[in-house]
Amino acid sequence: MSQTDTQQGTPTLSLENISKLYASVPALSNVDLTVLPGEIHALLGENGAGKSTLMNVASGTVQPDGGTIVFAGESIPVLTPAIATRLGIAIVYQHPAVLPDLTVEENLRVALPASIFMPRADAKKIATRLLDGVGLTVSLADRVEDLTMSEKHLLEIAKAFALNPKLLILDEPTAPLGRESVDLLFSRVRDAVAQGTSVVYITHRLAEVRELADRVTVLRDGKLRGVLDVDKVTDEDLLALIIGRKLESTFPPKATAATTGEVNLSLTNFTGPGFKDITVTVKRGEILGVAGVAGNGQSEFMKALAGLESFTGTVDIGGKTMTPKDLLKDSGYLPADRHHDGLMMTLSVRENAAVSALTKFKRLFFVSDKRERDAVAHSLAELDVKTASPESLVSSLSGGNQQKVVMARALLSEPRILIADEPTQGVDVGARAEIYRILREVSASGIPVVVNSSDAMELEGLCDRVIVMSRGHVVEVLQDANLTETNMIRAAVSSTTESVKVVGRTRAPRQTGFGRFLQGDYAPSSLLIGVIVLLGAFILSQNGRYLADFNINSMLMLATSLGFIALGQTVALLIGGIDLSVGPLAGLLVVIASFFINDDSSGLTILIGFVLMLVVGVVVGLVNGSLIRFAKFTAIAATLTLYIGLQGFSFLLRGEPGGYMNAVITGALKAKVGPIPVAFIVLAALAIGLEFALRKTRWGWQLRATGSDEESARRVGVNVNRTVVLAYMTTSFFAFLGAIMLVAQLGVGDAAQGVGYTLTSITAVVLGGTSLLGGRGNFVGTLLGAVLLIQALNAIVFLGLDEVWQYGFQGLLILVAAILYSVARTRKKGAVSA
Amino acid sequence: MVVERQSAKKLTRRTSKGLITMAISLVILLAFSWALAPSSVSGGAVSGMLQFGAVLAIVGLGQMLVVQQGGVDLSIPGAVSLAIVIVSHEPDGDNNKLFAAVLLAFAYALGAGILNGLMVGRLGLNPIIATLGMNALLFGAVLGISGGTPRTTVDLLRGIGGGATFGLPNSLYFAIAALILVSLITKRTVAGRRFEVVGANSFAGKAMGLRVRTHQGLAYVWAQLLYCTAGITLAGITAQPTAYMGNAYLLPSVAVVVLGGTSLLGGRGFPVATVVAAIFLGQLDQFVLALGVPFAVRTLVQAAALAIGVAIYTVNWAKVRARFAARTDAASAAVQS
Repeated sequence: MSQTDTQQGTPTLSLENISKLYASVPALSNVDLTVLPGEIHALLGENGAGKSTLMNVASGTVQPDGGTIVFAGESIPVLTPAIATRLGIAIVYQHPAVLPDLTVEENLRVALPASIFMPRADAKKIATRLLDGVGLTVSLADRVEDLTMSEKHLLEIAKAFALNPKLLILDEPTAPLGRESVDLLFSRVRDAVAQGTSVVYITHRLAEVRELADRVTVLRDGKLRGVLDVDKVTDEDLLALIIGRKLESTFPPKATAATTGEVNLSLTNFTGPGFKDITVTVKRGEILGVAGVAGNGQSEFMKALAGLESFTGTVDIGGKTMTPKDLLKDSGYLPADRHHDGLMMTLSVRENAAVSALTKFKRLFFVSDKRERDAVAHSLAELDVKTASPESLVSSLSGGNQQKVVMARALLSEPRILIADEPTQGVDVGARAEIYRILREVSASGIPVVVNSSDAMELEGLCDRVIVMSRGHVVEVLQDANLTETNMIRAAVSSTTESVKVVGRTRAPRQTGFGRFLQGDYAPSSLLIGVIVLLGAFILSQNGRYLADFNINSMLMLATSLGFIALGQTVALLIGGIDLSVGPLAGLLVVIASFFINDDSSGLTILIGFVLMLVVGVVVGLVNGSLIRFAKFTAIAATLTLYIGLQGFSFLLRGEPGGYMNAVITGALKAKVGPIPVAFIVLAALAIGLEFALRKTRWGWQLRATGSDEESARRVGVNVNRTVVLAYMTTSFFAFLGAIMLVAQLGVGDAAQGVGYTLTSITAVVLGGTSLLGGRGNFVGTLLGAVLLIQALNAIVFLGLDEVWQYGFQGLLILVAAILYSVARTRKKGAVSA
Repeated sequence: MVVERQSAKKLTRRTSKGLITMAISLVILLAFSWALAPSSVSGGAVSGMLQFGAVLAIVGLGQMLVVQQGGVDLSIPGAVSLAIVIVSHEPDGDNNKLFAAVLLAFAYALGAGILNGLMVGRLGLNPIIATLGMNALLFGAVLGISGGTPRTTVDLLRGIGGGATFGLPNSLYFAIAALILVSLITKRTVAGRRFEVVGANSFAGKAMGLRVRTHQGLAYVWAQLLYCTAGITLAGITAQPTAYMGNAYLLPSVAVVVLGGTSLLGGRGFPVATVVAAIFLGQLDQFVLALGVPFAVRTLVQAAALAIGVAIYTVNWAKVRARFAARTDAASAAVQS
């Protein structure tokens, strides 16, 4: 089929008249793109020209507002990621969709169809071959969390190649890669093309276009600027197409010789994570701009100037050499990501604006209401912030006014330097002009102003001096007549520098098998076995009857009911949630059983009882999951509601204990082999089975993927909503199994029982080494945790200890375990980032 | 119309949605109580309700501080019980030893709070685990001190905690004092204001150079001091307190915080609304009790109140409305074209 396509020269992909609006701002207007079979098609344009949006349309992650998509001659009315994958479209995102808590192998397996890893026996070999194909030299068993940025990118690229796609989209793949990896990547791309794959290659670098591409499409402002053959066009012509966006805002007049003064900001060999050896001086009244393709160290540079990163070299402001601490205190910082780092969305405009200057409003012990209001009102008026009232929530403001609130905060703190990272991103045209005016006024008042922007036109209009950064280096310093958009873009796109290693991202020394084990999921389990054995030996030395059949049996029976419930809790924690309702649910199910499973009940009644228990359990899980996913309750709020409610139902059904359980049933549940209860054997087998499923089946990978990183999980094709709701249903199902054991253990319906299992189950799971952050954990550890807990409680009886120990021991166990595991994890993280 | 509403708001701080919701709910509940079960609004019933409601209010204020930092404190049962046990056991019938016992209780609370704060703030432990473990340790201390047997509170404490002044139970005054203190500190001091900012967005707090982890840790310290106050008051109210009285306060404490409008994700706290919510739950108890329905119904009503309370704040009603509006718009646009 594909052969005939190639012969006839039907385009692999043809996008026609694509339009896309974001909040009525056009991101793409009537763009065409045709990718021929076996060609490498470069997509070129400035930051925000619409390249990524166009490719998101082509991969189905963004639905266009207009236009048609034709793939291999077939018109596609609605393209979704799933359909795109089926058609053979693979995309490598700028931010790799990898799951930090899963291993390299699991990342491949969860993202790729099972058919790639057939025959099963060769799965590892196939996975290794995929890694070799992109020159990624990590072990399949390495956790992706430990990989460097470029290794993660290579993994992402390996996933795309594995699909043998008909169309491969690469979105700035070389940004974090070293030269060797780039060469290998290019040769892989050429190989793929030789086999008939078409490639769309998004880049900012002309050199790469020349090296790799056959044809190039240039976008500007969401509009098509031209489609050209690479070998028939000069760099100058390409540049002319890229730049020249229409000027939308007016800029205040620039500094002149008359308005500038002595140097008041000078950086010397300023070096930090992600940028190197920046030396520049700025005069009083001048605004310093930072240009370059986004992600080349600019944000890190700005953060370091704000005192939020460590640095070497010197920063002089107005003749004073600043330490990071000084900068933290004396800088006004406008973060690029306003929502994430800049504003408290749930607080008012006044509170957002005042927070950095509170000490200035203090009168005796308290913040003076009047001073604060006056100062904030004054500042809001000066910056012309449009808000209904200073008491309105900041989230009710438009993007431009929100940005002005952040500026008001920075200015109210009377900074010695103002650092504005992307100050006009997401800001409407009118507010932009005002932000430029404010920045100019601040600069004129003698406070150095540094502006980073991905919009070169903006820097040309606003700044008096611009440094162009590429891969962490300053490649050009522009001023006066040279300070033009063209020069900035030329410097950025024609640079051939190599990345500065971001200090925070170098890799920890490669681990041996043993090291990996120590930091792996099973270290807690071995620790627990050790503790269980030691504790057992100690008790035995004190009391010879400890290992008597009776005691072993009763301990394991107790451990079985707890064990089942804790296995369920493990599932909830693995997806990054928690289920507080398991205890009351188990209690309610026992109460339900006490109405059906009695000595005088018929077989049918007993069966109905069990079915009813199962149904109620699963429904509770469904309610939990739905509240969390669809009503957006936090896991605690949702399951706490159920906790209280289920307890109420139990008491409603059985105000007083009553309803003796059927002796035959309880007898059967208590069946044993030697001293070991059969139920415990079932539990252990189940734990091992689940453990296997967690590591080796798609169910397990999806569960951990969701807990590890929800967004990435969604991008690799996991149905997150379904996974979460099913997980809570699974948790409830295990509470049902636990309840069956409680039927035998309690022998009577009692609404007061069961509730305590919530906290005990969490304790057991934590002891087993499952993280409450989600994504990593294990069932075997949970089982051992449950056994250890029961053993500890039993020990208190056997050693004739005080009741104090019952609690003290449990408390110490959980805290020591939690601290130990968490310290081990942070130490390891430290090793990666140090 | 919009303009009018805006100008009306201009100079006053906004009354929180939580407070409005809780105040209206309380009024409705009182009306129902009066109409359906008059005995639940009799003088004795109200004063009894206020007495215990006040204790829940103080505990709730502590929980609120922790929730403001995106945490949750499961050590309330142990903390409240420990305070009760210390002030009822240590004096052993001797009024003169009460003061020392109270100091000792606060010393324990301070220690527990600092430990919780260090574990969560410094070591980055999950609040659930840290406070769960702390709760067990505190119960260990409870049993260590009491040996599991209750002891009668001294007369002095019974007078202070269980007495009444100007016709209102003393515990209510304690709750009001705690409310004023918490409100003043969080809303009017520099540290308190920063505390709220860190809770609302710790990343922004970090970008501003605030001491994020210290603020997060301190929440647990303040909370423990409040639990301790509540425990001492409770010991005064009940003549012979048991070692497990704190258990009854954990879930309601989370409920009143949520009902008061403080988000479990952290951020701004609503102390007044939290206290009103505590009174609301107290009156709900009285009402259901007076109606003569089973005790269990009360729990169900609590669960329903909690679910509705959370849904008011979590479900994005604006979005739901917008979706409906968009649907109507689309429909009318279709008609027009």
